[in-house]
Amino acid sequence: MNRQVSKEKTVKLRWGALTLAGVLALAACGAESEAPTVAAGGDGGSLVWAVETQPITFNPHQWGQNKARLLVHNQFDALIARGGNGDFLPWLATSWQVSKDGLTYTFELRDDVTFHDGERFDAASVKANLDQLVSPGYNAAVSAIQLRNFDHAEVSAPYTLKVTLKAPDGLFLDFLSSPLAGQVSPKSLKNAKDLKAGGVDVVGTGPFILDRFTPGQEVHYRRNPNYDWPPAGAAHQGPAHLAEVTYRFLPEAAVRVGALTSGQVQVIEGVPATEIGLIKGDPELTLETSLNSGSAFSYYFNVSRPPFDDKRVREAFRDAVDVDAVLDSVYQGAAKRAWSVIGQGSPQFYDPSPENTFGNDPARANRLLDEAGWNERDPEGYRVKDGRRLTVRTISAAPFVRDRRDILAQAVQAAVKQSAGIDFQVKLVDQGTAQQAADENEYEIFENSRGDTDAGAALNLILPKGAAINRTRFESAELDRLLTDASATSDLAERKKLYAKVQKTVVTDEALLLPLYVPADQIAYGAGVTGITFEPVSGTPNSAYDVRIGT
Amino acid sequence: MSPLTLTRRRGLAAAGWLGPAARRLGAGVAVLWAAATAAYLALMLAPGDTIDVLIGDGLDTPERRAQIIAEWGLDRSPLQQYGDYLLRLLQGDLGHSYVLQRGVGEILASQIWPTVQLALTAATFGVLLALVLALATAGRRSWLGGLVGLSELAVVSVPPFLVGILLLAVFSFTLGWFPVSGDRGFVSLVLPGLALGLQIAGVLGQVLREGLERALEEPFAVTARSRGITEWRLVAGHALRHALLPAVTLTGWFTGALLGGAIIVEAVFGRPGLGQVTVGAVNSKDLPLVMAIVLISALAYVTASTIVDLAYLAIDPRLRRSR
Repeated sequence: MNRQVSKEKTVKLRWGALTLAGVLALAACGAESEAPTVAAGGDGGSLVWAVETQPITFNPHQWGQNKARLLVHNQFDALIARGGNGDFLPWLATSWQVSKDGLTYTFELRDDVTFHDGERFDAASVKANLDQLVSPGYNAAVSAIQLRNFDHAEVSAPYTLKVTLKAPDGLFLDFLSSPLAGQVSPKSLKNAKDLKAGGVDVVGTGPFILDRFTPGQEVHYRRNPNYDWPPAGAAHQGPAHLAEVTYRFLPEAAVRVGALTSGQVQVIEGVPATEIGLIKGDPELTLETSLNSGSAFSYYFNVSRPPFDDKRVREAFRDAVDVDAVLDSVYQGAAKRAWSVIGQGSPQFYDPSPENTFGNDPARANRLLDEAGWNERDPEGYRVKDGRRLTVRTISAAPFVRDRRDILAQAVQAAVKQSAGIDFQVKLVDQGTAQQAADENEYEIFENSRGDTDAGAALNLILPKGAAINRTRFESAELDRLLTDASATSDLAERKKLYAKVQKTVVTDEALLLPLYVPADQIAYGAGVTGITFEPVSGTPNSAYDVRIGT
Repeated sequence: MSPLTLTRRRGLAAAGWLGPAARRLGAGVAVLWAAATAAYLALMLAPGDTIDVLIGDGLDTPERRAQIIAEWGLDRSPLQQYGDYLLRLLQGDLGHSYVLQRGVGEILASQIWPTVQLALTAATFGVLLALVLALATAGRRSWLGGLVGLSELAVVSVPPFLVGILLLAVFSFTLGWFPVSGDRGFVSLVLPGLALGLQIAGVLGQVLREGLERALEEPFAVTARSRGITEWRLVAGHALRHALLPAVTLTGWFTGALLGGAIIVEAVFGRPGLGQVTVGAVNSKDLPLVMAIVLISALAYVTASTIVDLAYLAIDPRLRRSR
């Protein structure tokens, strides 16, 4: 009897399982009908773009994440654009004059530009933006660094603005072409509920209007139908091609790639090296890579404490690593090797002379370490001097680790142990702990790359005595003078010459760093998408203004 | 039994509920206060200075430090700041995020509903699956039971991150049945709900089956069978009630698994929610936001365990009388 009963039970349960399967299948049908449709034709269609990073803020004045740069110029325009070889091109400013002493800039502005809220763009609104940027408590970093030489702005005609500086500043125009100088409606500056956070009520003059932000999920823009003031160098005039564009935040690289290959999004930003083969193998997909401007990703040696106070140890560390082999194993050939503190993504200032002058020479590394007194070995094979092991530590904050830099560090760790007996310890910690290690000088290696459009801005933060992230703790009056001179002039040829000297000093003469790779942006997109480009100087993806979809 | 005795017994039952319920609520408030204090202390003791965090990579000058200290009121003593914090908390003011530059209450309000939705869906999936599997296999030493037991062990052992990626790879990337991301109604909840719910189903299923099997061997089961009751009614009507008690005890663990798992599942599926906010806040040492999230999690735990305690009373009448 028992057996019969259990049979009956089984039958009932089978029905239950079938019902459950049916419900799931029904839900699935719903999914199919809701899948994103690519509308083609007259209205320009809509596009979904999966990005890695959700911006902390939508206010351009507060911008700080290079990975969020591609969003800024959808909503905001700057006064000045950049050309392919680093020159400054008109945008909202049609022309500008610099006085002989380099202290007065006179800008002529476009007279046909309106903000998304209907406010007129004119000299007064530019002045309002500059005054806001230096107002206390708003963006202390900008007022202390980029605008430290800004004195005042005055409206000399409705569309003419005169800016006076306290000292000549070769980086002032670069600042005006950066996302930080995106023009915000004066009405928003006054009335926005959370001005620093930005959002739908902090508006600009850009080709798209932000109309929906769902934190953790996506941001949605619709076309600005009145737009007619693209930067010089844009591929077309008038309003954007796309009627709407959605940027979806997908922090997992594998998920982004899956979403692209299954057609759920049309464009993705941030393609991990492990997936590049898959994308290249798919004839429907296109992959584009662009080197970022700024400083290369490097290991900076802390010269204020042993063992890197000894230049021989610094050189030995560089010679102990076969950078090409390490990059190949971690990025499968997708990374561009760096040779200097400035990356090849900043061709205006990059100096190629250090190329192939150091690295991958274990014999020399071992000889140098022997000479420096690290000539004993402990049972584990590490070098020892006066009973202390040759240990160097890098301490980095987890939120800033990207591009598999933790894996890269492990590869370097294995290389220096094997070829020279150096104990390289890699520590991944929270931001507070990393900051504490830096403050207390408890580290030997500092890893960093910076994405500044003007590589000089990056060097000003890393190299001078007492600079914000001078973690090499190297000090040289001569070096500081070179950097100051290079920042004061806007003559590109002169700056290139000065920065070549800087690079020779820190890379070749002093061996202050081991340059590893040049950070790059990768974009992959499906068939039917055109107009995906990169910003000429920064090398980061452009806004969606020129992007088209469909036939 | 006369109608009179019946009413009196019902009244007694209601009174039996009151005491335990009041005690639980009082304890809940104490736990919340303790959680707020512990969160505050932990962040005070965590390495790194708040001012350093706020400065970040920017220029570090005495003027800037002074400005930040004034802006965030960091010059008061820790005790004073703690007092102010509790006071504002009582007024329902959770403070202002250092990093996101918005009100904490507003951030949480916009992010809590997607997480609640995800957690409820996952819990429903988990409980349903566990019930179905346990009822289907309890008391039978067949290959089916062994297989289910093995798969339960497997889903408990695999981290939700991997489960999520696998589910996406099959049902979204390959079959295209479900969308990869977002908060688009029930359809977009199925995969994340499953990724999170499977773990619960695994643990709960094992506990339930074991409980059922133990109950089916007890004397009352023999008596019931001898009365001619069908096996199905015996399992569903009698044994299940016995098996539920240990399972309900797990609800507290469940709340933790749902909150913790949500952090990962939300990131994998690109869903809005508290999980992503939590990761960002902890990494950037965004004090006010971290404290608010700790409080909310504590509130979820307290609510869950209060409900569990009251559920005991509902399931097992003996507990009511004994108090």
